[in-house]
Amino acid sequence: MKLSNKNEQNLIDMSKWVRLQVLDQIAHVGKGHIGGTYSCTDLLVSFYYGNILKFNASDPKWELRDRLLIGKGHACLALFAIFKDLGFISESTFLQYGKDGGALGGQLDINTPGVECNTGSLGHVLGLGAGIALAAKMDQLKYNTFVLLGDAECYEGSVWEAITFAGEHCLDGLVGIIDRNRLSVTDELQDGALFNNFEEKMNGFGWNYIEIDGHNFVEINEGLNAAMNYKGPTMVMANTVKGKGVSFMENGVEWHHSVPTEKEISIARKELS
Amino acid sequence: MKTDQDITSLDMRDAFFEKVYEIASSDKDVVFLTDDMDAYSLRKFKADMPDQFINIGVAEQNMINVSAGLAMAGKIVFAYGIAPFVTMRCFEQIKVNLCSMNLGVAIVGVGAGFSFGFDGPTHHGIHDLSVMRTLPEITILNPSDALSASASAEIFYEIKTPTYIRLDKGTYPYLGQPTNSFDDGFRIVKPVQKVNIVTTGFMTSKSLEVVQFFESKGVKIGLIDVYRVKPIPYEFADEVLKKSQQIFVIEENSVNGGLGTEVIEIAAKENSGTAITKLGVEDKQFISYGSREWFHSLSNLDVHSLCNSVQKYLNMNRD
Repeated sequence: MKLSNKNEQNLIDMSKWVRLQVLDQIAHVGKGHIGGTYSCTDLLVSFYYGNILKFNASDPKWELRDRLLIGKGHACLALFAIFKDLGFISESTFLQYGKDGGALGGQLDINTPGVECNTGSLGHVLGLGAGIALAAKMDQLKYNTFVLLGDAECYEGSVWEAITFAGEHCLDGLVGIIDRNRLSVTDELQDGALFNNFEEKMNGFGWNYIEIDGHNFVEINEGLNAAMNYKGPTMVMANTVKGKGVSFMENGVEWHHSVPTEKEISIARKELS
Repeated sequence: MKTDQDITSLDMRDAFFEKVYEIASSDKDVVFLTDDMDAYSLRKFKADMPDQFINIGVAEQNMINVSAGLAMAGKIVFAYGIAPFVTMRCFEQIKVNLCSMNLGVAIVGVGAGFSFGFDGPTHHGIHDLSVMRTLPEITILNPSDALSASASAEIFYEIKTPTYIRLDKGTYPYLGQPTNSFDDGFRIVKPVQKVNIVTTGFMTSKSLEVVQFFESKGVKIGLIDVYRVKPIPYEFADEVLKKSQQIFVIEENSVNGGLGTEVIEIAAKENSGTAITKLGVEDKQFISYGSREWFHSLSNLDVHSLCNSVQKYLNMNRD
């Protein structure tokens, strides 16, 4: 379904709201991964508000739901804000973020309704997604399995074991999305080997390949809709900007897990409002 | 219905796969994955239920991750390969994706102990029990004969939580039934005495030979087969540990962290005052090649050496 101008505006507004929620929580508790959260916020908002993901807010475990698995679980705060808005979790649960023993921490776990798998160690989830997509194929069920990966995460060998397996088994409905923000924790990612000729690489492994602007809601919508309808697995390379939405955070490697000062928070808030 | 005798006459690996076949043929949600590891008795499964059988290829970490995904979508999974590769190589996948989410996947490892002795230290399954034992949520089954192997498949199918089944091959003498059922976790093969052998897996029938040797000399030694290495049954402390003066823990696993360590930990916790001697594999990697029997002699785990170890104790503790 093509995204209307009105819907696009809704998504833009929603993304701003999510980014503000993230900013407030990080400012409040002094912990979080703001850069990598902002790079995938527009993708996450598209999944839940852009008619991509089939889900039932009153039954997060609905058997026929589309699954969204998150590799880069440190971007959890954006998801918590979305879950709060959708009613998966309460406001009071949301406010437990970052508190000692609180329900929500720096990663995702299945005790939070709506979360598909525990996260924290990179490189695992594409294999999990392949298993889920295989089960869907065995059961002849039509749900999709989306897996959001960080670009630095793709250095993990287990990602490539999963890519091989999914390609060999021609797993329909398996869609990987790479949050291509080009920055890892300490450095700029080099394109020399890993992402060089990536489309050819993916095609060679039996995957479809789509490249989109990960901050353009029309492109996200078209890309993910196309991916769902392809035969076999699809990799969506979403070009993004780490720290997207706040000028002084954008493309700044230091914003992987830096906490903004009061002055920075006030500037960021203005830019996001 | 097969009798105990029928099952005991089988190779334990066949007994296990026959049970898995039986379970899978009545439940379409049971899926069998292999990392390109074969077994004769597995071929029937592959031929008759191809939709429930997948050769993942030589990619054990992915096999565990795919198993987790299948289990997340409601499947009950057996993931089969060579013991060190499906356990230690995949430790984090097992910890994060199976155990922390408590998923219904049984890891089935063949090549227990030195059964792949000729293939060198990479193939020796002598640290797997120690390493897997550190995972809080896992059940470890180390069957010692065809009966317990067959029961292991059933136990996993019943509990549907992360399980490591350390599978051997070969036929073994009848070791009897546990007091209630195989859910007991251990069985008393020879009644508990002041001096007892506590053992597991392949070493149970070897230990039976040791016990029989002393029996022929009029010395009674108890024999307890702990086929569920984790969790050690609660009853073990009262029924075995506290009744023993001396326990020899015999295992084809490193003395560092295996069943012997576990028994000592329980004895310390229970303050049982039992003397415990660990007879296992030296804490090292063996960069050498040979038969299982050869490695057993090297490790003093052959029946003759085991009898000597027990005899030494008896000599020193004459009433």
